[in-house]
Amino acid sequence: MGSDMTFYETLSERGVSRRDFLKFCGSTAAVLGLSSTFVPALASKIAGAAESGLTPAIWLTGGKCTGCLESTLQARYPNVADIVLDLLTLNYSAASMATGEYALEAKKKVYQGDKPFIMIYEGSVMTGLGGNTMINADGTNSLNDLESAAPYAAAIIAMGQCAVDGGWVRAFPNPAGATGMTEYLRSRNIDTPVVNLAGCPASPEELTAVVVQALLLGTDGTLESGIDAVVDDLDSLGRPKYLYNATIHDSCPRRGHFENGEFVYRYGSEEEAKNFCVYPMGCKGPQTYRRCPMIRWNDSQSWCVESGGICIGCSTWNWVDNNAPFAGRHRRVGAARSGPLAGWPLHGGGLHPIATGAALTGVVGAALVAHGLGMKAAKRVGKNATLKTEEMKEYDRKRLKKQGGAV
Amino acid sequence: MATPNITMDPITRIEGQLAIQAVAENGVITDAWAVSKLFRGIEVVLKGRAPEDAFYVTQRMCGVCPTSHGHASSMAVEAADPTFELPNGARIVRNILEGAEWLHSHIFHFYALAALDYVNPAKALQANIADTYALAMEKGIGTADFGAVQARLAKLVEGGDLSIFTNGWWGIDPVANPQAADELYNPDIPAELHLIGVSQYLQGLEMQGTAAQIIAIIGGKFPMPMTSVAGGTAWMPRSDKLDDCLFRLKTVAAFVNDHMVPFTLAIAPYYERELTYGQGVKNYLSWGAFDRPTRRIEDRYLPGGFIKESAGLTTVNRPMVEHVTEDVTHSWYDQESGQRFTESETNIVSDGDFNQDLDGQYSWGKAPRYQRDAMEAGPLARILVAYMDQSSQSNSAVREVVDNALATLGTDDPTVLMSTLGRVAARNLETAVAAKWAEEWIEELVVELRTGRAEFWNSYSSSNGEGTGVWEAPRGALAHHVKTANGRITNYQIVTPSTWILSPRSDDGAPGPMEAALIGTPVRDIERPIEAARVVRSFDP
Repeated sequence: MGSDMTFYETLSERGVSRRDFLKFCGSTAAVLGLSSTFVPALASKIAGAAESGLTPAIWLTGGKCTGCLESTLQARYPNVADIVLDLLTLNYSAASMATGEYALEAKKKVYQGDKPFIMIYEGSVMTGLGGNTMINADGTNSLNDLESAAPYAAAIIAMGQCAVDGGWVRAFPNPAGATGMTEYLRSRNIDTPVVNLAGCPASPEELTAVVVQALLLGTDGTLESGIDAVVDDLDSLGRPKYLYNATIHDSCPRRGHFENGEFVYRYGSEEEAKNFCVYPMGCKGPQTYRRCPMIRWNDSQSWCVESGGICIGCSTWNWVDNNAPFAGRHRRVGAARSGPLAGWPLHGGGLHPIATGAALTGVVGAALVAHGLGMKAAKRVGKNATLKTEEMKEYDRKRLKKQGGAV
Repeated sequence: MATPNITMDPITRIEGQLAIQAVAENGVITDAWAVSKLFRGIEVVLKGRAPEDAFYVTQRMCGVCPTSHGHASSMAVEAADPTFELPNGARIVRNILEGAEWLHSHIFHFYALAALDYVNPAKALQANIADTYALAMEKGIGTADFGAVQARLAKLVEGGDLSIFTNGWWGIDPVANPQAADELYNPDIPAELHLIGVSQYLQGLEMQGTAAQIIAIIGGKFPMPMTSVAGGTAWMPRSDKLDDCLFRLKTVAAFVNDHMVPFTLAIAPYYERELTYGQGVKNYLSWGAFDRPTRRIEDRYLPGGFIKESAGLTTVNRPMVEHVTEDVTHSWYDQESGQRFTESETNIVSDGDFNQDLDGQYSWGKAPRYQRDAMEAGPLARILVAYMDQSSQSNSAVREVVDNALATLGTDDPTVLMSTLGRVAARNLETAVAAKWAEEWIEELVVELRTGRAEFWNSYSSSNGEGTGVWEAPRGALAHHVKTANGRITNYQIVTPSTWILSPRSDDGAPGPMEAALIGTPVRDIERPIEAARVVRSFDP
């Protein structure tokens, strides 16, 4: 334990108790979907890595609002997250350095060096007007910056929905030309692996989990094997499965009210005060894959639905085009009635350009609309909801019987 | 036109994407251009969407100030229905949310973004710990475990890795060349004061998080809180949640009053030079923030008003959105220049010369003007307006805080705030004022709840109409304007504080506020123009 001692000394210097550290490891293990028996192993791996070499990282930005960096600064157990993120030594970040060429020097040193490094990219890739929707003073633009670094990175973490697919910036009919990292690299034949952290913004817990997985959970302890482990665990949209394998609705604390037909139809109402389900207000929880109800936000203070708001599905592919109008259930907007876009909103008299992956979310969306209609038919949603809780339970019992299910 | 011999790109430690080009002759900047580097097109995205969607989308303008954009947006949509009345409960909740965001934003700006222009972490290593405590006591600054902070710093340096402070010295190695590094600051500043600064820097990182937690408790998360929807708020207060907010608010307020403000006053005398440059256009605009029950801009806690040097610095007039126009001659837009903001549009060029022709088009930012004048927006503008507006209910509260601070600096002249360091100080003083009010608002909300008739949301009809929401983000004046027809947005326009501050030249060639502030700035070393960086960051762009 000799080497561990030094690590825990470092921790205590930063005002972190051993207990806090283990709690942090526990929550990270939970996010990673590891069993709690793995916590001690994770703790000793982090301790070990903190004492050996650090992995260089650069944080580059495209078309961004700084929200994902802001979000990262709101980390749970902040000092511990610091340490884990210090396993990555952030050799370039526009958020924390002097200005101009001195910053650029630091950046170049990383991607021209021998050590494998990780690139975190915040914001959308700005391809509009030949990349000039994001320009540099020397006549180059953000695409030049990206291409001078991306091929050399061991992996790229696309931090937040803008980096994943262009985010809201890609929404119709914006001429800014925003796209996501995966799409852009593919168009340039750059095969650096990309890990998508979907959501607007992405959360520090999600980032920490991926960093721990990449740095520590490889088969032979090298960064390469760690990245392989991460890449093997991605879903079809390039997102870590353990972060995006369940919908908001699946673990929503208000889910019980949904099942009971207890809904909010008006903000500021008695129903809202009782924390009823906000599905009729337009909540996109049922079609949105993320773990907000469990991970929560800002050191676990709350999350969107707990605050009385709706889920707007900010981790959905091309989320603004696919989820707007956010308030309500597409009822005020015309919809395509047939063909592959059935159920999708028309926009300003024309169709939204449907992004890659929309077909996939489309299926989920259509299923959801059907689900909503079913709820309406059962008189559980809508102004004419007549069934009271007890009647509803009775209805369910009968329905299960009819279908041959257990009573 | 002389060729720029100073290029700062990227300007780091700011919220957005900015480059500065400047000409320095004989150690003084004689000309400067602020280049906004990025076009994102949020106004275009909103066209054709439902008015209530704007609340969610416009928050993504700014990850540091989403709450303010959400508020301005909901206010614009509500204003499209002239019969709408915001319930009193919602008014108070919005004030608390906005106040918490200012605390978060101002603390984050001063420490994480601006402080390293004034504080030298490398020199803090030389501090004597006992002397540091003595100095803190003498200056009335709250203490921390200064020994532990220094030890942590020493570890970083020993390891050859300065972590968050890496590259803070413009290419100078502060370990090999401590003296050269210290020349960037004022070498007379005792190491002990630098150590207090570093210690507060670390505390500040925690405090911005504590302030943001208040927004998360009410709004679900920060950034991008979810509650201040058009019509009121979705959040319904509960006593346990209010307790959580109040506890955090008191923690942050204590930090601001006992640490941040006294430290600002302690280090200010060493940067007297920074009180002499960076004045800028000397026109100030505030739409006002934090509504009182009347919801008129002149009654706001920080009143709406504008001051122009040409009319005398003590004269405050009420601003009207009709007087805001946008020039685009020097921006990459293909539309009529000088349109009224409420009638403006967002049509970018289809092709252009993006090599920044400084006589022609050189910025993605438009050039907003108030009655044809460039206006400074931000805490300095708000504090000056509140200080000069004797009809404001907040006048005496603001005067008290400002006058006390000025007295510590040995002056009674509020115009010293019209400078680079003054701009920083005004922001920090405003933080103290906002912290005090935020506590009052929580008490006000408790009283409102006790009536048993507290309401938080009202219906409205924004299907066909037009409305403006004028408000203040932490970094300055913010206006949203929406036009709707048949339940959809037909035009959406925003003037952000950054648009005001980073404005390029107007049609008549007059510089924007930051450009004007850079002109006349002394630069000791054009390879390391830290003075220019101080001017830029003092605006919190």
